[in-house]
Amino acid sequence: MVEFLQFLVPGILIGGVYALLASGLGLIFGVMRVVNFAQADFMMLAMYLSWALFAGGVGLDPFLAVPAVFFVFLLLGMAVHWLFIRFVIGRRENHDAQVILTIGLGLIFQNLILIRYSSEPRVVAPSYANTGDFIGDIFVSRVRLYAFLLSVLVAALVFLFLNRSATGRAIRAASENWEAATYMGVDIDRTNRIAFGVGVALTAVGGSALVTFQSITPFVGLRFVVVMFAAVVLGGLGSVRGAFVGGVLIGIIQSVSQVWTSAAVKNVWVFALFLLILYVRPNGLFGKAQRAI
Amino acid sequence: MRRLVPFIVLVVVVAALNGWLEQRFYVRVLTLTVVWALAGVAWNLMAKAGQISLGHSAFVGIGAYAFTILLRGGGTSPWIGLVLGMGVAAVVALAIGLPTFRLRGFYFTLATISFPLIMELLVSHYGDPELTVPYHPESEWRFMEFSDPHTYVWVGLGMLVVALMISELIDVTSFGYALRAIRDNEVLARAVGIRTVAWKSAAFMISAALSAAMAVLWVKAILRVTVAEEVFGITVVIVMLSVAFVGGVGQTWGPVVGAAFLIPLAMFLDDSIGESVPGAQELVYAAALVLVALLIPRGILPAIESGFRRLATRPGRSREPAGRRLLGRLAAPPQRPSPFLIMPRRPLRPRPPRPSDAPVLEVEGIAKSFGANRVLSDVAFRIDAGRRVGIIGPNGAGKTTLFNIITAHLRADAGRILFKGMKVDRMRAPRRYELGMSRTFQVPQGFHLMSPLDNVVVAAIGASIPHPVAASMAMLERVGLADSALGELSALTTAEIKSLELARAMVSEPELLLLDEPLAGLNEAERARFFTTVDELVTPRTAIVVIEHSVRSLIQYVESVVALDEGRVIVQGPPADVVSDPRVIKAYLGSRWMEHARDQ
Repeated sequence: MVEFLQFLVPGILIGGVYALLASGLGLIFGVMRVVNFAQADFMMLAMYLSWALFAGGVGLDPFLAVPAVFFVFLLLGMAVHWLFIRFVIGRRENHDAQVILTIGLGLIFQNLILIRYSSEPRVVAPSYANTGDFIGDIFVSRVRLYAFLLSVLVAALVFLFLNRSATGRAIRAASENWEAATYMGVDIDRTNRIAFGVGVALTAVGGSALVTFQSITPFVGLRFVVVMFAAVVLGGLGSVRGAFVGGVLIGIIQSVSQVWTSAAVKNVWVFALFLLILYVRPNGLFGKAQRAI
Repeated sequence: MRRLVPFIVLVVVVAALNGWLEQRFYVRVLTLTVVWALAGVAWNLMAKAGQISLGHSAFVGIGAYAFTILLRGGGTSPWIGLVLGMGVAAVVALAIGLPTFRLRGFYFTLATISFPLIMELLVSHYGDPELTVPYHPESEWRFMEFSDPHTYVWVGLGMLVVALMISELIDVTSFGYALRAIRDNEVLARAVGIRTVAWKSAAFMISAALSAAMAVLWVKAILRVTVAEEVFGITVVIVMLSVAFVGGVGQTWGPVVGAAFLIPLAMFLDDSIGESVPGAQELVYAAALVLVALLIPRGILPAIESGFRRLATRPGRSREPAGRRLLGRLAAPPQRPSPFLIMPRRPLRPRPPRPSDAPVLEVEGIAKSFGANRVLSDVAFRIDAGRRVGIIGPNGAGKTTLFNIITAHLRADAGRILFKGMKVDRMRAPRRYELGMSRTFQVPQGFHLMSPLDNVVVAAIGASIPHPVAASMAMLERVGLADSALGELSALTTAEIKSLELARAMVSEPELLLLDEPLAGLNEAERARFFTTVDELVTPRTAIVVIEHSVRSLIQYVESVVALDEGRVIVQGPPADVVSDPRVIKAYLGSRWMEHARDQ
C-alpha cells in the first residue's frame, strides 16, 4: 500500500504539470481548431529560457522566473500566430497545412536550439532540488510539490481570466461558435492571437515548472508531445478543464504503472490509454467535445 | 503512352547520374534520394484518400527489424526478409487501420502517432535497441551485399519504378476513384456504395508494405545497423511528409519531385556546414514544410499545373505552351477516363430480386433519440413498387433523420427496416446502396475536387455498373449536363447541382429513390421541370419517397403523404385528405391559428 502511494503521490504531482502543459494545447484547439504540433517545442524553449536565467549569471530561481516566462511566451505566441498560424486557420482544406506548418515550426525551434546550445543535456538544480519531506510514510520531493502548486495556481488564474475578463469571455464565445461571436462584434483575429499567446504561455510555464527535475535537450519536446495530446484527448479535445483533469490522470497512470512494469515503458501505458480513449470515447471521458472551456 | 513518358525520364535521368557519378558521397546522395522518393510514394498512397499518417515509421521499423533478425538468426537472404517484412507490415497495417479508420481528420492523425512510439519503447526495452547487420561477402546478390555502391541505386530504382506503377494503377482504376471520393467527402462516398474502410485498409496495407521494403534498402545501403530510435523515429515520418508535401500530396509523382529537390539540398548543406551547424539537414525539411504550408499547400506539381492552366487560358497565348508537355504530364490528374477502368462484368454480390409480394420498403416502430432529445418515435410506413410517397412536417419533425436511418447514415434505437422483404437493419450504407437504395441530400453534396462526370462515375463504380464512364455520361446527357461534364463542380448553378445529384442517385438504377427537399432553392420554372425529369429517369417499378416543404408541388406529384410532427406519424393517406386534416394544419400553424380559423 505504501509502495502504491509512493507512486501515486508523485504521479498526482507530475500530473498537475502535465495538466498545465495540456491546457495550453486544449485552449488553442478549443478556440481556433488548430492542433499545434509545435506546442511541446514551445515548452522546450521555455525550459531553455529558465535554464538561461538560472545558469547564465542572473541566478534567477526557476519558480520565480515564471512571470517573466509567461510574458515572454505570451508575446512569442502572439508573434507566431501573426506571422504563421493565422494564414492556415479555418477551412477544412487547411487541416493538412496546419499539421505540416506546426510540425515544421517545432522542428525549426529544435534545430535552432541544437545549433546554439548543442545536444548536451542541461540541468537546473537550485539548492533545494534534492530535498523533500516525509508526509506519513510517503516521501514528497520538494521541487515536484512546488511545480504542482504552481500549476494549480496558474490554472486557477486562467479560469479567472477566461471567466471574468472581457477578453476571456470573447475567447470563450469564439470557442463556442466563432461565427456567432463575429456577429456580436468579437474581433476573431485578435481573439485567436491572444488565445494562441495564452495557450503557448501556459505550456511555457509548465515547462519552467519541469526544469528542476527534468534535464533539458533540444528534443525533450518529443517525449512530451504525445503525453500532452493524450491528456487533451482524455479530457475531450478542445476543453481546457478536461485537459486539466486528463493531465492529472496521465501523470497518475505513468507513475503507478511502475508498480507493475519498468519505468522505461511507462509511456507505453499512456499511449495505449490514449488510443483506447480515441477508439472508445473520442469526445473524451466527459462526453461532449464542443464545449471549449 | 502519355503515362509512360515520366517513367522513361526517371529511368534515363537516374541511369545517367548513376553512370556518371563516381565519388562515394554523390552516389550516397543519389541512393538516399531514391530511397526517400520510394518512402514518399508509399506514404502518399494514404494521402490519396486524404489521410495524413504520422505513424509510417512503424512500418519502416518493422521492415528493418524483420530482415535484420532473419539475417542474423539463420542467415536468411534479405530478399526473403524483405518479402516477409512487407507481409508483416501489411498485416500490422490492417490491425492498426481497422479501429483507426473510424476516426476522422485530426483524430486519425493523432492516433497514428502512438504506434511507432509504442513499438520503439517495447523493442528498445524488451528487444534489442540496436542490431548490426552481419557482413556476408560470399554472395553479392543473395545477401544484397554489393561491393559497388552503384548497384544499390539500380535496386532502389527498380523498387521505385514498381511503387510508382502501383500508384499509377491505383490512380486509373476504381481504386483511385474510391480513394479520391473518400478524400473529398467520406459521408457521400458511403452513400454511393464506396466501402470506405475496405478501400482505406487496402491502401494502408500496400503503403505499409512499400515502407517496409524501403526500410531494407535504407538499412542495407546506408545505415548498416538497425537502430530502434532511428527506424521507428519521427524523423522518418518528417522526411516522408516533406518530400510528399513539397512535390504534391496525394500525387503519384509528387514525392519523386520532392525528393529530387529536398534530399540533395539537405545533404549538400549538411556536407558543407554540417560540422558547425548540426541541425542543417533537419532545418531544410522544416523550412520546406513551413513554406509549403504557407505558399503552395498542395505542393509543387499542382502549383505548376494551375500555373500552366492560367497561362493557357490567357488570351493571345498558344493553348499548349511547350513546357506543359512533361511537367503537365507529371501534374495533370487524368482528364479523361482511362481505358483501364473496367469493372467486373458481374458485381461481386449481385442485387437480389424483390419477391413479388413484398413492398419495396417497410419501416416499423423506428425510434431515435439524440441524448435526451427524442427525434423519432414509433414511425411506421410502407411503400410498394412504382409508388410515390411524400413526407411532410414542420422543421424539426424528424424527416431528414428518418431518411438518414433508412440509408444507414444513422442507426435507429429501435424498430426495423425491410427493403425488398429483406431485413437491412444491420447493413451499412454502401451495402444498402448496392441493394438498390439511392438518395439525394437536403444540403446538396458533391466531390468538390472532381469533375461532374467523375462525381457520377464514383456512384456507378459503387453500384458495380459494367461500363461506369459510359453509363455516367449517358446519365449526364439525360439530365442535360453533358456540356459541363468535364468542368469544375463549383461552376454549376443550384439547378444544375440538383440535376447532378439526381444523375448520381439514378446511375445505379435504384429500386428506391429518396429525395430530400429536391425543390429547395429552385425557381418556379425549374420546380415545374424537376419532377418531369425524375419521371423520365425512373423505371415504372421504382418507388420514390420525397421530403418537401413546398406542399403544393408535392401533392401534385405523390400518391400518398406521411405527415410527421415531433417525431411521430400524425396522419398518412391520400394527399388531399392529409393536407386538410386538422392535426396537420395544427402541426404547421399551431393551435392558436386553428381557433382563429374556426372563428372566421
